[in-house]
This record gives sequence, structure tokens and C-alpha cells, in this order.
Amino acid sequence: MIIALTLAATAWQDPLATTQASEARRVAVVARCAPAVCSVMAMDAPGGGSGVIIDPAGFVLTNYHVVGEPDKDWKLLVPAPGAAELATWKQKNPNAGEAEERAFAEAWQTAWRTEHAPAGTRQYKNKKVGLPDGQLYEGVVLGIDPGSDLAVLRLLPKREGQTWPACPLGDSDALLVGETVFAMGNPFLLATDFTPTVTFGIVSGTHRYQEGGGNRMLVYPDCIQVDAPVNPGNSGGPLFNEAGEVVGINGRISIGDRGRVNVGVGFAIASNQIANFLGDLLAGRHTEHGTLDMSAWFMGSRNGNEPVQQRRGVFVQQLFKDSVAALAGIGLGDEILRFDGTEVRSANQLATLVGVLPAGAWVTVWHRPALADGGFGDERRVTLRLSALDTGSSFDTGEDAWLASRADRRLATAGLLARWTVADEPAGAVAWSAINPKEVPHRAVADGERLLLDRGDVVLVREGAGRGFAREGDRVRELTADEAERLRREWTCNPMLWQPAVARTRLRDALLVGGVHVHGAPAYRFALPGEGDCEAWFFADGSPAGCAFRDPLRKARVERHVRSDQLRFVVDGKLEPGWSAGKRTIGTADEAWFRRQP
Amino acid sequence: MRNRSLPLQTLATAVATVAVLTGASTVLFSLAIAAMFALTFAVPAASQDFGKAYSFAERAPGSQVERTIDTLLPSIVKIHGASGLATISAFASGILVSKDGHILTVDQIMLQPERTRVVLYDGSVHVATLLPADDRLGVRLLKIDPQQVTGELRPLWPGADTSFRTGQFVVSLGNCFRLAEFSEKVSATFGVVVGRANTALRYRMTDVKYDGDIILTDACNNPGHFGGGLFALDGRWLGLNLKLIDSKETNTMLSAAIPLTDLLPYLEEHVRGKPRSAAAPKGDPAWLGAVLFEQAGRQSPPAYVERVLPDSPAAKLGLRNDDLIVRLDDFSIRTCRELREMLGKFRPGQQVKVTWKRGTEVMTGEVELGKEPSR
Repeated sequence: MIIALTLAATAWQDPLATTQASEARRVAVVARCAPAVCSVMAMDAPGGGSGVIIDPAGFVLTNYHVVGEPDKDWKLLVPAPGAAELATWKQKNPNAGEAEERAFAEAWQTAWRTEHAPAGTRQYKNKKVGLPDGQLYEGVVLGIDPGSDLAVLRLLPKREGQTWPACPLGDSDALLVGETVFAMGNPFLLATDFTPTVTFGIVSGTHRYQEGGGNRMLVYPDCIQVDAPVNPGNSGGPLFNEAGEVVGINGRISIGDRGRVNVGVGFAIASNQIANFLGDLLAGRHTEHGTLDMSAWFMGSRNGNEPVQQRRGVFVQQLFKDSVAALAGIGLGDEILRFDGTEVRSANQLATLVGVLPAGAWVTVWHRPALADGGFGDERRVTLRLSALDTGSSFDTGEDAWLASRADRRLATAGLLARWTVADEPAGAVAWSAINPKEVPHRAVADGERLLLDRGDVVLVREGAGRGFAREGDRVRELTADEAERLRREWTCNPMLWQPAVARTRLRDALLVGGVHVHGAPAYRFALPGEGDCEAWFFADGSPAGCAFRDPLRKARVERHVRSDQLRFVVDGKLEPGWSAGKRTIGTADEAWFRRQP
Repeated sequence: MRNRSLPLQTLATAVATVAVLTGASTVLFSLAIAAMFALTFAVPAASQDFGKAYSFAERAPGSQVERTIDTLLPSIVKIHGASGLATISAFASGILVSKDGHILTVDQIMLQPERTRVVLYDGSVHVATLLPADDRLGVRLLKIDPQQVTGELRPLWPGADTSFRTGQFVVSLGNCFRLAEFSEKVSATFGVVVGRANTALRYRMTDVKYDGDIILTDACNNPGHFGGGLFALDGRWLGLNLKLIDSKETNTMLSAAIPLTDLLPYLEEHVRGKPRSAAAPKGDPAWLGAVLFEQAGRQSPPAYVERVLPDSPAAKLGLRNDDLIVRLDDFSIRTCRELREMLGKFRPGQQVKVTWKRGTEVMTGEVELGKEPSR
């Protein structure tokens, strides 16, 4: 017995066995990840970087500095209808003349343009993307994030319905100093057959803030520091954790006196930051980073002069008078206590917390106003919307902010829906409530085509498409046109009232329009066809995140940001404070609600 | 859920609403729990606890490397010193070695009285006083006032086993490139012990004064990393990170550390007040009998002979005024100091081959080293 125990203990501690086991694990992870790592090169220029496929539909993540700036001499080449298509048309219209044939071709080209032309006026020439299978693909630059050096490409398939090996994004906030990581890519473009180079190391530091550097001044607001060798050519390549998830994109190295090569200090853009911008990137946008337009300053204790706990913290050092922070009531010298619930302990950390968020994100800041006598007032909580940071790398947003075509966005939408992991719910009516600042619940119940909106004083009921009534107290009346439209829009785009199966059907004709930051988590905005700018919002796992539409009753665009019981109600870009959400439940609807005569 | 301050009444309304729809009491119950949580988190954090380094959403350390680093990080400090010259980096790392606030680091020009600040792992900044440096080791102890520290001081002390093997895995901790500020964690790099080497290797003399054996490692050592520690994976402290050793001749750079065993007597003396056992000299130093020309104000004067003493080994060799000594045996000599240090490794009576330059001519001779005549 004793011998057996000793043997077991020895086997457990046998360093060779342990090493071999960990090596086998490592080899397996590398073998699984390597097929998704690619080389990204320009069509007609030397050099290049790396990338990683993050979706089987062929979406590739890489660095902005790998794809560079939009090509000035880019022109859209509109193809003519194919010979087969023309022949089919001629068969159907045997007597058509030349003019009619030209008209057909023009109509075909207009349709093609609507679907395939990028919405903006700027565009990239396609990139060459080499995969470890030895194949060279064309990659369309979909979205760029110059603020933190990211870009998304879409691979053009070589056959119908082609999918690619992909690696999912991991949780970079779970990374710990000392954790094993692998960097993959094509340093110095060593591999002419595109098999990636694998380097191994540990996480040397997390949440590092790296100021703008290089000729494009790309800021790395929240990066992972690694000692895995990262060299020129590794740019845009993935950093994997031991589970083979992409936890970062390697983009930058610190260099000492040794020239442009590795000194054991590499920086990867954290995957959680990437997730915050993925919606905009996949939708084919030029993303914008958020800013408070202020800088903070950390004051440590000055030993010997003052009691340690006094005047120790993060204070506002510089502030634009018209910045969102100033408009929300934050002043010079104020102490910043918390940002979106996270304790602020250093100026770097505040820069990190803000830097990873997209412009337009709503955040909550807790501060103590500085008083004239040198003291501080009571703690205040302000909710504000981050403005856009001018990174110096941006080109004009607006029309030029779109790089993708409708076809690209259609693909992105399908790719995102395919990744949803929501559990199946029992069938039934869905009820959800929003509680307004006066604590009156606004209740909504959806049952198939039917919808009930109970706002306390008025109950609007939709019995089906185009039919419905309103009830005020005991009085029942017909819907006004605006009320009917309001019901339709609510029914069309409020995902809180949809079951997962319904959601997939409803989003069949939807198009991804970008990302949105909902109570600290990234979500995706899907535009639905029809009047009213209706958008349904979902988190990455497929759970509902809110909606937006033009409300005909309020004559304003309203947004609901929902995450569990948290609800932000935004009307024409202004926050209406005091709202919260009730629980979403599924059950059987009371038939009496949908009857005109109770 | 966090930091919501909802009036309880609002939630009660919500509960009522949902209950109407489902009639399920379980929903009521779970919402009641939710309400409790909402209230718990709504209490503002009144105390300003700066006692621990911030983390965003880190999990608990799992693997041995993670645990080791997590345990050691609070003992590594960031050091900021006097700056002004572009060539002097004004930041380094140090290791806390006592509850009284002693900090061990590599001695360097930036460590100036009143101008040296130490940043502890909790982000607090302290002005440090300088204790006497050890010129042979090239290390210095700093001291901060432990009364000013609110958090716990977690010092390291050399363990019983500070041995290392070539090929063993190591973790190196230090604030390279000053990446970490205040309470942010310093950098950790991973590697193996590449070997042991003697510092008879030639490198910039101003950088490292230490003249014993060093631990060579491939765990990257960058500006600012020096003064930090080299550790075995089980957390044993093995050495103190040196500055990057740099050879202009071969264009190579080495990461190195001083073995802890060599540092122990210095630590014992200045931290614990134990007098160093007066190491008996192993005999008299060797004597060549050439007086060198040490130009005033020049940092590393070359070993030019100013005067040759009569009846000395130098005289026997035929050395003359203005000769430049360039080699002793196989070791090249670049400065007066190097010559003195190299002679210290020889004993009277040993044969040595001396190479010197006279004008454009290189001359060699062999001579028996002597003993300095008593005056």
C-alpha cells in the first residue's frame, strides 16, 4: 500500500511526465489555432503583417497600420451582367432591341451597385491574405479603428459557401501576470508558404497604457504586455491564451537600443477592447474612440508633509470648457473616485478605462467637486456620453465613415447570428416592463402578431398588422395613425419582446449598422427594414440589449439601453434619468387584454 | 446590477407587474433577492482604500508561475531618481528587504540624496534616504520611513537555498521602460538560466561595478528592469537584476543578475547590523611597479605609464614612460582601473605576460610579479 502510494506520488511529480503533458497540450493548441493565422500583404507593395480569422465567415482581424490608409486612386469597377444571365434575359425577351438590352444592363448594374458598392466615398484596394493552407485569398478592408490600431478584413471565397477555420475572441480581463501565452504571425515574412511562426512567453503586465507612438500616433489604451518575442511582421497577429482563444492582437513593441527588433517587451491590443469596437468594424465603419476631453493627475502622498490619506487620489488637471465632462458638472481639481463602477486608482487607469470605449458610450463618473477653501464637496454621480477623440489619424467621418457595402454587412449579420448561444425558451407570450422616473411601470406584452402597451393612463393594443384599439380607463376608442405606427415600430424592433427563435426570423432582412456600448458591455445594432429607423440591439451571445426608433408620439428618436434591470432611456441624444427595467418573463397572455370588450 | 440606487418601492412595483403576468411566486422571490443586492451595492464605498493594487477583473492565480509572481510582486518597488542628462535613465527597480523599509537596488548615478523616490506596490510614494553603497558589488540600500506606509510591507530575504542551475526556469521582475506607474504591477519576464559567467568580460565600466560571477539569463532585462529580482519558479530569490551588459565589440547584449549569496554579507551588515566577517586577504596583492598616468577629471583613463619604479617587475620588463599597457595574459586592459583590478587577481611570484604599446609598436614581455615594498 505504501509502495503504491509512493509510486503514485512519484508519477504525479515526475517532472518529465509533467513537461511532456504540458508540451502535448501546447502542441495541440498550436495545431488548432495555426490554421486561422494569416499573412496580410498589400497587392502591389512590399512588406506586410499578420492577422487572424475570428469568424468562419472569413472575418480577419489585423492592425490598422498593416492595412494603412485608404487608397486615393481607388475606383469602383462595376461589372456587366454575366453572359449566362444575359442569355436567360434574351430567352425571356426574344423581341427586345438593343436599347432595351442596354436598359436591362443598366438596371442590373444599379442593383449591383446598391448591393456591392461601399456606402462611403473612400475605399481600400483589396489586400492579399495568405493562409497556412498555402492559398492566397483576396481580402476586402471592411472596417478600421485608427484610434487603437485595428482593422477588419473579409476574405473573398474561392467557392460558394466557403468557410474558414476561426479562433474565437477570449476574455482579456481574465489574463493574469505569469499566464502562458503564444504569439503567432509571420515575423520578417519568414514563411513563404504562410505557415505561422509561433513564439511562447508569459503575460508580463496587464492594462498597460501606451501613448501614441510611431508616425500615425496610434494609442494603445489598454494593452497586454508579453515577453513572447514579437517582431516586425508580427503586427496584426493574434496572441493566444492556453485555451487557444484570441486574447489580443500583437501590434507594438518597446525597443531599447537594439533597433526595430524584440527586446522581450511586446504589446497586444486586449480582446475586450476589440470587442467594444467589433460591431462598428464588422458593419464596415471607421470607428471613433470616446473621450472625456480632460486629463487627470495622480497625487501620491508626500511623506513627511501631510497625513498620508489626505490629498491622495486622481484629480482633474486639465479640462476643456465645452467638454462632456465640464458640461456634466465636473470641474478643475475635482477628485475622480469611480468610473462605471470601477475604483479609479491612477491617472493611467482612468485613461485606460476611457480609452477602450467607443465615442457615444454612456458612462457614469463619481467625483467630489473641489471647493474654494481647498476641501472637497460631497460625492456626486454624473452620467454622460463620451465625445469623439481626435486621434489625428481620422479622416472625415460621416459619409466617408463607411467602407463596407450592403453585401458585406449582410454577411456580417449572418455571421453574428450564427454565433448566438441563447438557450431555447418555452413558447408563449413575452412580457417586459420599464419603470419610468415617476415609478409608473410601462408594461409591454407581445403574443405573436399581437402587442399590448400599457403606459399607466393609456393602453394601446395591436390585434394584428394594421388593426388595434386604445383603452383609456373604461373607454375604448380607435387608434390614431401615430399610435398605430408607434405600436408597429415597438413590435418591429423591441427585442425584449422576442423569443430567440423569433429573433432569428425577424433579423433575416436586418443589416448590421454598428456597435453600441450598453451598460458596460458591447452590443450590436441591427437595422430593420421599413419606416422609422428601427434598430434592434443584441449582445454577442444573442441576448437583447435594447432598441432604437423614431417615436411618432414623442416626435423624437428614442433609444433604450437595457442590461438586466438597468435601463437608460435616451431621447434625441439626451438622457432621461430615472428609468429602470423590470424582469422579462414568458407565460400565457390573458386573452382579455386583447379584447375590445372586457 | 452594481452601483444602482433604486428606491425599493420601484422594485416592488416591478415585482407586482411581473407577478400579474406569470403568477409565479418564484419570480417574486428571485426579484426580492435582486432588490437586496441592489441595495447592498448602492452603498457608496466611503473608505478610500489604497492598500492594494487595483485589478479590473482578474481571476485568482492558478499556475505556479502565476502564484509565484502574485506573491512576489508586492515586494518589488519602483525607484525614480535624479535626472537631467539624456544618457542617465532616471528610473529603476528595487526589492524590499525589511519591515523597516530597507530596499536593495543597483547603485547608480541617479540615486541622489533628497531626489530619490520609491513607489510601493500600493502606489504610495516615499522619499528614500541613501545607505552606504558597496562599491565592490555595485549595489546600494535605500530606506523609507515605515511609519509613512499604510499598507503592509512585505519584505523578501534570501532563503537558505539560493543556488541555481544552468537550464533552470526563472522569472524576472522589474519596472522595465517604466511601464508601470504608481500601483500598477511591474513587468514579469520568463526565461532560463543560460549559465554562470565571470565579469572579466568587458563591458561599460560605469554600468556595473560588480566583479564576481554573474547569472546569465534569457529573461529579458531592459532599461528600468535592473534592481528587480530574479526568482526560481517556486519563488526562491536567486539574484538581483543587473543593468543590461552590452558589448560594443561583438554587438551583443546580455541579461544578468548578481547571485544572492554574494549579496548576503552586505545585507546582513546594513539591514540586520551584523558586522561583516573581516575576510582575511588571501595574501598580498601583486605589484608591477608602474605608476600610471591618471588624468584628473577623466572617467576611465587608459593605462599609460607615467613612471617606472626602479627594481620593479615593470623595470625588468623594460617598460618606459608613456607606454600603454593593453594586456595582462589574455585579458585586455582598457583603463587604469581595469589594470588595478586585474593585478588584484594575481599574487606575487606569479608569471604574467604583459603586452604594451609604444608609439605604433606593440611589445610583449613576460615577468614574475613582485610584492610592493613596504614604505
